[in-house]
Amino acid sequence: MTKKERVMRQLKGQEVDMTPVGCTTTYAVVALQEACGYFRPQADTDPKAMFEMAMSGPKYVGWEWVKAMGWDIVPLSEAMGVELGPPTKDSQYYVKGHPYAESLDGLEFPVDFLSRGRFPVYKEQFRLLKEAVGEDMAVFGESEGAFTCAANLVGTEQFMKWVFKQPDKIQQVLAVTKEAAVAAANFAFDQGADYYVFAEPTSGPALLSPRFYKSIVLPLEQEIIKRVKGPVVLHICANTDSIIEMMCDTGAVGISIEEKANMKAAAEIANRKGVKVFGNVATATTLFSGTAQEVYAESKAALENGTHFLCPGCGVAPPSPLENLQQLRKARDDFFGINS
Amino acid sequence: MAKEELREELLKELNEGVVEFDEERVKTAAQRVLDEGLNAYDAVMNGLAAGMEKVGELYDQQEYFVPELLMCADALYVGLDILKPHIRPEDIGTSARGQVVIGTVQGDVHDIGKNIIKMMFEVAGFTVHDLGRDVPLEKFVEEQLKTDSEIVALSAMMTTTMMGMKKVIQMIKDKNPNVQIMLGGAPVTSDVASLFGADGYAESAGNAVQEAVKMIGNLRKLQNQ
Repeated sequence: MTKKERVMRQLKGQEVDMTPVGCTTTYAVVALQEACGYFRPQADTDPKAMFEMAMSGPKYVGWEWVKAMGWDIVPLSEAMGVELGPPTKDSQYYVKGHPYAESLDGLEFPVDFLSRGRFPVYKEQFRLLKEAVGEDMAVFGESEGAFTCAANLVGTEQFMKWVFKQPDKIQQVLAVTKEAAVAAANFAFDQGADYYVFAEPTSGPALLSPRFYKSIVLPLEQEIIKRVKGPVVLHICANTDSIIEMMCDTGAVGISIEEKANMKAAAEIANRKGVKVFGNVATATTLFSGTAQEVYAESKAALENGTHFLCPGCGVAPPSPLENLQQLRKARDDFFGINS
Repeated sequence: MAKEELREELLKELNEGVVEFDEERVKTAAQRVLDEGLNAYDAVMNGLAAGMEKVGELYDQQEYFVPELLMCADALYVGLDILKPHIRPEDIGTSARGQVVIGTVQGDVHDIGKNIIKMMFEVAGFTVHDLGRDVPLEKFVEEQLKTDSEIVALSAMMTTTMMGMKKVIQMIKDKNPNVQIMLGGAPVTSDVASLFGADGYAESAGNAVQEAVKMIGNLRKLQNQ
């Protein structure tokens, strides 16, 4: 079974020889930059460097699939005109200004969306990745989802208040970012992506109540996922226990969760609904500041609790040590008796 | 209506107005506090701040989330804007609680949590120097030295930006080892805080102020030794 078959069969709920191990979030870790010899910010803007950075996951820590589309979750926002702060070796692109904070005048989905931002770079990176991995490994694209992008356009604080004060404006912005999300995901599938991740940190219970997730976010994701031409995985940070069921109802084939969420409970719900779970080794604590033994133990626990894809729970912190990242693969291999 | 009865009624109005994020209700009650010649400081502390304390509880119980919290904060500020100019210096006493420099570290623009903590400090009587969001690391050091603040409170909401905190802590402690540094934000845990060399860690807005009071106590003990 090739690594790609393992990933794709698992996504479809078909039998696999073992749980795939990899990363479905960002992983431009400094140690991986040093290992592959390509560094940020070049790896954020240059297709060849972005490609080499992507390949460093399988090469140096044994992950079984690769990521396309950069090392941040602002591709849509950037193409929609959001001002970004510059990446450095140990920090990623981030939202600096909100172009529609004062007024929604002129907010529309640009016809040339896919030639804006770094989409041309992603296109070339996809080509390099597909050429390099062929049918051996799956490739995924990722960006922020429509809700998170909308909050970036007007400012999260204002957007959160609009939930009560101006719900019509929320819908006005989402109508535009929805198009951006659909276009970006379909672009990725046109370039040969095997699945696509929408990261929606702003929509999770760290910010928004499950009640509003149900009334605002769920129908939004359902519509988007229906219009996207390939399998979608939905990533939400923090403790998502209260919305796992709804995340599974979006139409996503997979959900990606953090260590703050209960993997065992999530896997039970997901299994019932035919959805797969990615996660959930702790990034801020274990992978970054824990020992290799702790990462190993947490990886093993995630497998025991039923994760379908053993992954870090969120974007990997840039200073995380290589040895820690390698523990996921080691734990998976031991768990399935590969080394014995 | 007896004065005490009226006081109780208006405190309740302010409290509930904040909890139910009813800005009009808060505005009317705050104005009546002034019209009736009641104590503005009492109204802030036992009306508005008490309401916000309840909001903090509702947040911890996952009854309220960030949109609700922000709406409550707006209501609180409506009352604070009316009442604050009428607070007499003798009400606060000579021992103002202390000064805090606060900001979200470079690379991070998530400032909702920081703004809520700032408000909690303000209503608790601290003087707050807010540096905003995406703050260059050296700015924290400069501001602390300029204001001689006892506490520097740093926030980062992303795993990828929290490393900036470690650098700031080193920079500040190099210049002034007696400053107390408090960390907060989603990826930060008490383990991370102590690993980075911070003196305190706030899990939520509610315990940030308690933690700060404790830290200032420690600091004064140190200085008296």
